[in-house]
Amino acid sequence: MSWINRRVRGFRLIDLVALGLLAALILGVYLAKTIAGGERAKIAVVERQIAAEKVRIRLLKAEVSHLEQPARIERLSETYLGLAPVPIKHEAAPDALPALASQPIAPPKVPVEATPDPITNAPPAPAAPLATTTVIAEIAR
Amino acid sequence: MSLGQSTLGPSWLSQRLLGWIWRLEHAFERARASGRAEDDTRIRIFFVLTLFSAGFVILAIGATHAALFSNAGKGDYTRPMGAARADLVDRNGQLLAADLLHYGLYIDPREIWDSEETRRALIANLPDLTPQRLERALQAGRRTYVLGGLTPEVRAKLHDLGLPGVSFEPEQKRVYPLGYTAAHLIGFSDTGGEGLAGAEAAFNDDVRSAAAGQGAVPLSIDLRIQAALEDELYKATAQFHPKGAVGIVTNVHTGEILGLASYPTFDPNDPGKASLDARLNRAAGAVYEMGSTFKGFTVATGLDLGIATPSSTFDATHPFYVGKRPITDYHATHKVLTLVEVFQHSSNIGTARLGEQIGPERLHTYFDRFGLTQAAKTELIESARPLVPRVWNEDAIASTSFGHGINVSPLAVARAYSGLMNGGELLPLTIKKLPPGTVVHGPRMISQQTALTLLQIMRSNVSCTCGSGKSANIPGLNVGGKTGTGDKFDPAIRHYSTTKQVSSFAAVFPTDGPLDAPRYFVLILLDEPQKDKTGLDPTGGIVAAPAAGKVIERIAPFLGVKRRAETNPFTPAVDTAADTGEDH
Repeated sequence: MSWINRRVRGFRLIDLVALGLLAALILGVYLAKTIAGGERAKIAVVERQIAAEKVRIRLLKAEVSHLEQPARIERLSETYLGLAPVPIKHEAAPDALPALASQPIAPPKVPVEATPDPITNAPPAPAAPLATTTVIAEIAR
Repeated sequence: MSLGQSTLGPSWLSQRLLGWIWRLEHAFERARASGRAEDDTRIRIFFVLTLFSAGFVILAIGATHAALFSNAGKGDYTRPMGAARADLVDRNGQLLAADLLHYGLYIDPREIWDSEETRRALIANLPDLTPQRLERALQAGRRTYVLGGLTPEVRAKLHDLGLPGVSFEPEQKRVYPLGYTAAHLIGFSDTGGEGLAGAEAAFNDDVRSAAAGQGAVPLSIDLRIQAALEDELYKATAQFHPKGAVGIVTNVHTGEILGLASYPTFDPNDPGKASLDARLNRAAGAVYEMGSTFKGFTVATGLDLGIATPSSTFDATHPFYVGKRPITDYHATHKVLTLVEVFQHSSNIGTARLGEQIGPERLHTYFDRFGLTQAAKTELIESARPLVPRVWNEDAIASTSFGHGINVSPLAVARAYSGLMNGGELLPLTIKKLPPGTVVHGPRMISQQTALTLLQIMRSNVSCTCGSGKSANIPGLNVGGKTGTGDKFDPAIRHYSTTKQVSSFAAVFPTDGPLDAPRYFVLILLDEPQKDKTGLDPTGGIVAAPAAGKVIERIAPFLGVKRRAETNPFTPAVDTAADTGEDH
């Protein structure tokens, strides 16, 4: 008797094998689709998070740019740290020293003064914001 | 030969395939012939099942592949959502302008349960929302746009209130995080994403197309240089209270504008609240009678034509008459001056005499070459056309030779001087960053020898204590320059005003080294400056030259200009110490 004609509890073995194969395929596809659906949902969530983070990053970049305005940094450094731009006479390349040494000493320059407000009749510049939302609202106004 | 063979041809594969189908089709006959008719049915069932299974497996593989290996989740998340315009950045990548996600507020009165609560909550949380506008939306009877530009935080705050009928739609809003900084150069755009001024308008198409590719449009300005320029310019305005002021820094070899400031300024985040005067880009969109800064052009013309050399002499002992109109010097020397001294003392008489020798036609030709008779070639749409003499005759030449009777924009002056200082080629000014190492060429205006000589004459005007630009001298940077103080025409008296003037200083540094050495141009201009507490006349040498010097001292490190040994060309044997060096 060939294996095709062999019977198991009245059912042909070949039929049982085919049925099992079919069930396995159905289960496999079901599992694949179900798992993929779950993964797709996770991907969508991550995708939304990435998009939100991207928006957030752009906001933060704008905020950093706002807070790091050179005029603001300079004003803060002058006010709180007493810093000022380095006079050019305090800088020299080593190979230029012999030539510079032969030059007469220049009189000291007038110290740098605080920057006035550029806007006619404008209110005083706002203090450094404490909260992110404040700054975003300010630059988005 | 069967039909199949005739169709498919006598290939090995077709013969095998046809043979197999033939045997299958005759399985019944063969099974009956062999006495096993039931086997035939089984074979057919097995065959059909195999076919279905194979098809199913193929479908399953395809479905699994599509589910697991699709492009879902592989999108470009870095792209700004719906941004209409690309970012603007400075030459070092510092953010200047960006589209940021905001939200628009919508109200659908049909879904509102409690109108009074909605009204109260929205008014309390949205200071920019007027009661009238809210009332119109509540009475509209349909979903209505109420307010735009809500930040994500404000949107979240309102969302948390859980107001029925209140919804939000994402929208992009152009934001300028630097506020007033470089406002005129950056410009601004409308709510529809169209650039209206500055770089936003100049590069409107580029900015819009770059938004799709998430690119940024780099501008030529260096934010550090811009900040130093604005800082010193605003200090000068605080001291001399002018009506307006301009500051420009350019790279003379590329034409790149490294800094551009115009006073008064405005906040591009809210241009509607700024006055037209504040929004006016005075560097590009205003024209001035520049005064003695034009003497640099006249001297360059005389040198290039071979009419004069640095040692040529001009009689400034008496006023120079054009018809009955006398031309005098602000600080009369009553001497015969060399060309260098004419430049240093900013002698109107000497320059007018040089202009006379040049002649109307040739001076007009050279002013054309310098680009002074046309709008400054730059991307800025604000670039204004000059006001030039209708007829270039002796009278016009006498005036224009020292910067009267011709109104040009500060950018035009910057372009012309940059051309003179780069070796003599007129280049377009650009606000777009050029790739490093870019070599730009333009039409030749003057010879290289003339450019070298002019550099030294400009240096002598600053290095010599007799020079009108001595207050711009920064030890070690070999600054050169020319002051300018142009009286303004007063329509009320139909004559030049004796109290209103335009004071400027055109500076170049460093002046030493070969023509192709790194070199930068700085222009400071104050429109109608007032006397400060010293009581000195607010001439270019008093108000603009010191500011230019301070700008140069601060930006030199950013530009890589090192301190070097000082040059002092055309040093007179005996310094004219009595001379104030102020010009007019």
